[in-house]
Amino acid sequence: MDEVTLYHWEPNANSGKPMLALMEKGVPFASHYIDMLQFDQHKPEYLAINPQGTIPAMTHNGLVLTESTAIMEYVNDRFAGPNLMPSDPQDCWRVRWWMKFMDQWLGPSFSMIGWSVFVGPMVRQRDPQELAAAIDRIPLPERRTAWRKAINGDFSEAEMAESRRRVGLGIAKLEEELGKRPYVGSNQYSLADINIFNSTYSLPLSQPDLAGKDKTPNIMRWLKRVYSRDAVKQTWAMGKTDLANRYGLIMKEIEA
Amino acid sequence: MSAVLYHGQPNGASLTVLAALAESGLAIECRAIDLLAGERHALDGVTEAIALDLGVEGEGPVLLVDGEAMTESVFLAQYFDEAAGGAGLQPADAYARWEMMMWCRQITERLSPAAALLGNLAASQAVVAAIPQAGFDDLTARIVSDDLRGRWLALHDDVSIPAQIADSEAKIIATVERCEKQLADGRDWLMGSFSIADLVTYSWLAGMRLLRPSAFADAAPTNAWLDRVAVRPSVIAALARATVSEPLRAWAPGPEINRWG
Repeated sequence: MDEVTLYHWEPNANSGKPMLALMEKGVPFASHYIDMLQFDQHKPEYLAINPQGTIPAMTHNGLVLTESTAIMEYVNDRFAGPNLMPSDPQDCWRVRWWMKFMDQWLGPSFSMIGWSVFVGPMVRQRDPQELAAAIDRIPLPERRTAWRKAINGDFSEAEMAESRRRVGLGIAKLEEELGKRPYVGSNQYSLADINIFNSTYSLPLSQPDLAGKDKTPNIMRWLKRVYSRDAVKQTWAMGKTDLANRYGLIMKEIEA
Repeated sequence: MSAVLYHGQPNGASLTVLAALAESGLAIECRAIDLLAGERHALDGVTEAIALDLGVEGEGPVLLVDGEAMTESVFLAQYFDEAAGGAGLQPADAYARWEMMMWCRQITERLSPAAALLGNLAASQAVVAAIPQAGFDDLTARIVSDDLRGRWLALHDDVSIPAQIADSEAKIIATVERCEKQLADGRDWLMGSFSIADLVTYSWLAGMRLLRPSAFADAAPTNAWLDRVAVRPSVIAALARATVSEPLRAWAPGPEINRWG
């Protein structure tokens, strides 16, 4: 009997990727909610699972797996259910290329904007000494730097401008890609769709000047196609916010 | 299917891909290009250019298949392995594959930018700075990616940041320590059986042994492993494509240093 436990935050960005992959494959899993805004991921009980203190993490029959895209690949390789990678090697390459483009180039820019306008202001309201102690507990130096910048609002104007440039260009390139194919990188729903959907489903609300039914019709049709999947609805129902409700209203306006 | 692999001197990303191609046994035409002359940004017959224009890896090799430019050395190695029907470059077990991909990601995210920075400062800066201004302007104008063009300009103008150099040197040392830990049980190859992880790690680390030998001074297992990879027929074949005497000292602008610090 497989025992799968997923340690995750909201069904969003990195946490959303393995949640949705497991749902699509039909793999039952125990859900362990880690409240990122309470720094649960740096507490000793979680560091005992993942010493790096990053979320998500997954355990499977005693094995520990980290890094959201790599966990998705493991889930797809290891479990029965629909294959979430194309069969053609060139399509596979394209799926991997788009995931890296999101994970390493576009995603960090989304994050920088998200942390500066959302995460930073949220946690800044806490007791400064408590925050300083929480940051000191972060194991990875890079993550300590990132958290300090987010909490102190230290992203420079040049950094923010570069992130905005990347977001604008990335959205334009995704719009082009989805004009060529029904899904990201191939003609079938794959890990690339799961990856990119988790970082872009909020675009019509978060970046209305860049994305919407008039500006990016291909992205909007694709979002609706993915949004309407049962696995997405089941995954979003695991969130503690009203994401599904809010985005459902947007999607109703878009023709499939 | 028409396929051509455009590659630079066999070092870094180009070495990984050339060696992986040789391991796969696929018959794909290889054409050497001069990366430091900007030839990667003037290829004929590219109809799908996004991976060439916006690839994360910098001046890596380009596999052109039916007009589509394919980039990123780890994924090209996987492509060759899979297109050949399984050439043994990826473990069959799902967890072992996860370990290999995690290892490769550590290398491409941490070691590659560090090695490229140190390698370029040592070997390419003078070459790029010597390009006549008009030619350099033409070259950089052809580069679609603003951030890659920024790395060329920084190299040309010799804008080296001491903190980045120190951080890069620390990343070389950290990679050697990781290799030492991984090889401590006496295994021959990083993942147990030979894999893409060996090719990728060798391709970015071997040149550092020439440039920062002190990082390897107390690392006998890592040195022995580097020597084992160096005599793989695929690596020998890849290195034989060099048109310079010391290809492991040949560099071109690589991936960017992590923007988050």
